[in-house]
Amino acid sequence: MEYLSHSTEQTEEFARQFAAQLRPGDVVACRGGMGAGKTAFARGLARGLGLTDRVSSPTFALVQEYTHGNIPLYHFDMYRINGLDSLYSTGFFDYLEGEGVLYIEWSENIQDALPPGTITLTIQPVDEETRKITIEGDRF
Amino acid sequence: MKILAIDTSSQSASCALSDDGKLLGEFYENVKLTHSQTILPMVQQLLATVRVPLDQVDLLAVTNGPGSFTGLRIGLSAVKGMAHALGKPCVGISTLEALAMNLWGQDCLVAPVLDARCAQVYTALFQGGPQGIHRLREDAALPLDQAEEGLKNAELPVFLVGDGAQMCYNRWKEHLPQLRLPAPALQYTRAAAVALAAGLPGHPPVEPQALAPAYLRLPQAERELLARQAQIETRR
Repeated sequence: MEYLSHSTEQTEEFARQFAAQLRPGDVVACRGGMGAGKTAFARGLARGLGLTDRVSSPTFALVQEYTHGNIPLYHFDMYRINGLDSLYSTGFFDYLEGEGVLYIEWSENIQDALPPGTITLTIQPVDEETRKITIEGDRF
Repeated sequence: MKILAIDTSSQSASCALSDDGKLLGEFYENVKLTHSQTILPMVQQLLATVRVPLDQVDLLAVTNGPGSFTGLRIGLSAVKGMAHALGKPCVGISTLEALAMNLWGQDCLVAPVLDARCAQVYTALFQGGPQGIHRLREDAALPLDQAEEGLKNAELPVFLVGDGAQMCYNRWKEHLPQLRLPAPALQYTRAAAVALAAGLPGHPPVEPQALAPAYLRLPQAERELLARQAQIETRR
């Protein structure tokens, strides 16, 4: 699945509609450099999942939980994670047992630990305003 | 001696009160609830049901690893907090040992297996018999294939227990005909078993400040650590 976005708002809207295809337990692993729109995508996802929480980048907190709505969204940022011990101590593996959707920024850092069935989302800058969003997974 | 034991090391949660080895009461649930919200009300209800006030507890016991990072910390914090407030000692019990206690007195081998993700398990080996349960191998984090290898040529039935038991049983039963699964009530960690272990020799109580988690490092993490250390060495 591919989508060309020309603004942050378009990225959010695409994510909002994409959320309708997600189910509890899904893991969305995002790949994309700084400023690609990973957090904008998260905002759209949260709205699409019926959540009213405020979405923000979890770079320092490691994980933000959005739970005010239908399906919980667990928003991870693996930028500072540098190995399996480090990942274990975020409680990441405990979230995999839960009933929410996981959305992981900088998933490249934990490639080997992603479960089977993970949906891969890539956001590539085409130019300053444009992003190519690609989604790959068993159901996509 | 009254022992209050709790376990929140995996998806199930449990608490128990024993008095000189007799189990007065135990609660157990396995429904993916958030242990941080459920464990203390569970303890309160248990103590009310068996009519033992908290300040009559002599020793607090808790599973301290391996297991879920968050789960272990919830149980440890609860016990440290209570023990500190009461001025009583506490003791950490290996999750794998507590699991093996479920087969106490049976003539068999017991291999506790906890799912450690990434095709790895936390595991150990125990033998049941007239003396109850005794340990044959230390707790370890192993790749699945290596764990399977370690159970080959067993001469007794091998019971698998723990949250990885069903998965391992399905994978290994073809090549390990002596594998068994116990009844559902004995497949997961029970606080009664934690209390049983806490009352045995070899589990000295400690001050609450000294109670600590016993995480096992995963083999993959070990390799990564060695690779990183080697990189640092070559830069020097």
